[in-house]
Amino acid sequence: MADETFEEAIADLESGRSKAGEQEVPAGDQADAGSHPTVAALRAEFGDAVLHHAVMAGDERVVRVSRDRAVAILRWLKDDPAQEYDFLADVTAVDWGGGRPLDLVYQLWSIPHRRALRVKVSVPLDDPVADTVSGLWKTANWLEREVWDMFGIRFRGHPDLRRILMPEGYAEGHPLRKDFPLRGRFSRAEQTRRILATPVAETYSEQELAVAEEVRSHHRGSAGSEASE
Amino acid sequence: MSTKTVEYLVTRSPELNAEGVPVHAEFPLGVEPELHAEHMLINIGPQHPATHGVLRLVLELDGETVISCTPHIGYLHSSFEKLGEYRTWNQIIPLTDRMDYLAPLIYNCAYAMAVEKLMGIEVTERCRIVRVICMELDRIFSHLLWLGTTAIDIGAFTVFLWTFQERERIYSLHEALTGARITTSATRIGGMMADLPVGWIEALRNFVETLPRTIDETETLLTNNQIWIGRNRDVGVIGPEEAINCGLSGPNLRASGVEYDIRRDRPYYDYETYDFDVVVGEHGDCYDRYLVRIEEMRQSLRILDQAIERVPEGPINVADPRVILPGKTDAMTDMESMIHHFKVVMEGVKAEPGESWFSVESSKGELGMYVVSDGGSKPVRWRVRGPSFINLSALPHMVVGRLLSDVIAVNASLDIVLGEIDR
Amino acid sequence: MGVSLPTAGSGEASFLTTRLDYVVNWARRSSLWPMPFGTACCAIEMMAAAATKFDIARFGMERMSFSPRQADLLICAGRVPYKMAPVLRRIWDQMPQPKWSVSMGACASSGGVFDVYSMVQGIDTIIPVDVYVPGCPPRPEGLIYGILMLQEKIKGESLKNPALREEDPARTGLANLPAATVDEVARPYGNSTKQNRVSGLVDTAALTRPSDREP
Repeated sequence: MADETFEEAIADLESGRSKAGEQEVPAGDQADAGSHPTVAALRAEFGDAVLHHAVMAGDERVVRVSRDRAVAILRWLKDDPAQEYDFLADVTAVDWGGGRPLDLVYQLWSIPHRRALRVKVSVPLDDPVADTVSGLWKTANWLEREVWDMFGIRFRGHPDLRRILMPEGYAEGHPLRKDFPLRGRFSRAEQTRRILATPVAETYSEQELAVAEEVRSHHRGSAGSEASE
Repeated sequence: MSTKTVEYLVTRSPELNAEGVPVHAEFPLGVEPELHAEHMLINIGPQHPATHGVLRLVLELDGETVISCTPHIGYLHSSFEKLGEYRTWNQIIPLTDRMDYLAPLIYNCAYAMAVEKLMGIEVTERCRIVRVICMELDRIFSHLLWLGTTAIDIGAFTVFLWTFQERERIYSLHEALTGARITTSATRIGGMMADLPVGWIEALRNFVETLPRTIDETETLLTNNQIWIGRNRDVGVIGPEEAINCGLSGPNLRASGVEYDIRRDRPYYDYETYDFDVVVGEHGDCYDRYLVRIEEMRQSLRILDQAIERVPEGPINVADPRVILPGKTDAMTDMESMIHHFKVVMEGVKAEPGESWFSVESSKGELGMYVVSDGGSKPVRWRVRGPSFINLSALPHMVVGRLLSDVIAVNASLDIVLGEIDR
Repeated sequence: MGVSLPTAGSGEASFLTTRLDYVVNWARRSSLWPMPFGTACCAIEMMAAAATKFDIARFGMERMSFSPRQADLLICAGRVPYKMAPVLRRIWDQMPQPKWSVSMGACASSGGVFDVYSMVQGIDTIIPVDVYVPGCPPRPEGLIYGILMLQEKIKGESLKNPALREEDPARTGLANLPAATVDEVARPYGNSTKQNRVSGLVDTAALTRPSDREP
């Protein structure tokens, strides 16, 4: 019986219905406005793109939004003068396992208004794509690279979506997924062999190699011209 | 032979343009023969004395001027977050020491606070004040190391020895409290691993009273030293809007003039009742970051002074049987206590389904701990928002257009620790 | 005078070669130039060992050499992930003979608490190690003890033994141990065998490999 409660709790969390661990926040602007003005304004502005609102751990506001309007919502949250969430504290993801969609989590803080907000976006496993917010906050650049590296969520529009923590040619997958075993997919000997056999050029990014290539080609050119003299 | 006009970026007092980005004054230095010079690609690290750990910087240089700087990280990736999913709530605490090994008590406390928020546990008054003492002590601990290593990067070796001598005294305090010098693992869910040993407060009081002299001596060596000023003033400038947008936090952000300190804006553990100043700089250069940290050490000493006076008698652990083990005498004599002990140890502490984000002002910036639980004894997700990860991502914005040696100075002034970056 | 000097490589110790060994080993062990390959927490304890309270300069290690070309001793202090392994191997290959290495800490010696996908389970799979210093982190006194142990080891070396300073150039950049041995030393043991998710009652469908559990 305990199984059912937990299964239900997870199912409800992912589908957006509030459940155990959250406090029910009554619908309606009045309940929201006094305690946290953002949620009421957000609902007024974006209507049904705001799927769900909950209060976690006593005082943390969590808003679940639809994936296709997530960037518009985040942009509004950043730019609207009454909201001004100018500090993006974190971008991360949660894998619940068992084929459930990933949760992409944005943690926001407004320095002028001293308010926090968590925005969640559900990302299905069969289409792990989201839009980048690195145009809004420069912080998101590396944070989204880490989400790509660890979870495999691809960010459309990201200027430089490469692995950041794992080596560039890492072939075992995306480590923080629940179906990724703790010790990795290959044996230790194989992991050792692969990493020591990595060519040095693979540790540089494309732009860096382009600079090195430019230098090399210039030297080749000048050597040729000197030889001909 | 053709000639070209060479321009250099020179800053005296940078103005900020509309976006809050510093505008460097450019002026031509004259004409030089046109030498075909291509850019150089050099690699600093990951094994390098001045990168503060296994950081790799790939710089594209035009002579000595930095055209682009790309940090490569991941050379210390120890997958703490994945490992945390396989450990019970209390077993994660030793992992938190090893992320920011320069201020382990702050991480221990921040993690315990996040899980206690998730579980709705209120720790005792004594525990709260002891944790404030631990966090402020480790803030000083971390800043002392930063001071020593930054000075040695710029070339001042003596400061390194002095700060390490002071740190040895904090090591002794750590060791008396927990048994370990660095990897303290001092907190537990619901309290601390052990109460303060007899005489610890007196030793701490002695430390607090004598440290200011060392800080003063160090300041006489550095603060008005023309070499120090020349290497640090107007180097690595970042304006306030750009700093916020880049996600800088802690002394780095405050040195740019942004008054954001979590101890004041989102206070925890009665920080609003302590009398201390939030130290804010002005120019956002390395020199201001240095001044901010020095002053922060003094403010931490002020907080420690007040906290030492406030430590009450009473239990250090909350009397909550869900999380705290019974006393050993009880466990050995009373059946119920023994069963309770067995359950807590074998099954682990269980948390209700839910999640919690807890931010703490660590020595490096905003340390965020995000814990997600599905009702079991191990987390579904344990995310650490390490401030150094994001502080480092702002490095390229600060060094483009500067000279190579400025890269080292700026990198040092950011106060990064690779354990927290790579996790 | 009728004393026949032993020819090089003859393998016989004699009065002169043992005296030479003594002098050479004394010079080598008393002036080791360490190359601190510090990655994590152990690096801080190594720095503390170099600072005033513990001071490895007493033992001849005054000058830390950050260039491997001028170093004798590689002190690997801290955990080494696979991404760092080629760097470690390359630094080791760049050091000229005679060279020694100290694996400082549990993570460098065996992987430590990190039996995970990204961590090298002991740097002896990558480079040959002379002394292992356990601890997490070892106290500076522990590191000093390890260094003194290495100095004893050097004292017992002999120039007549070519195997000590032998290095196969074909093995640059390759792992130190053969593949089967790497798997053998890195296989899960102790508590590692019981690492699985038991949080709540959610089935996370984690892949298990047969070698993950010991009977």
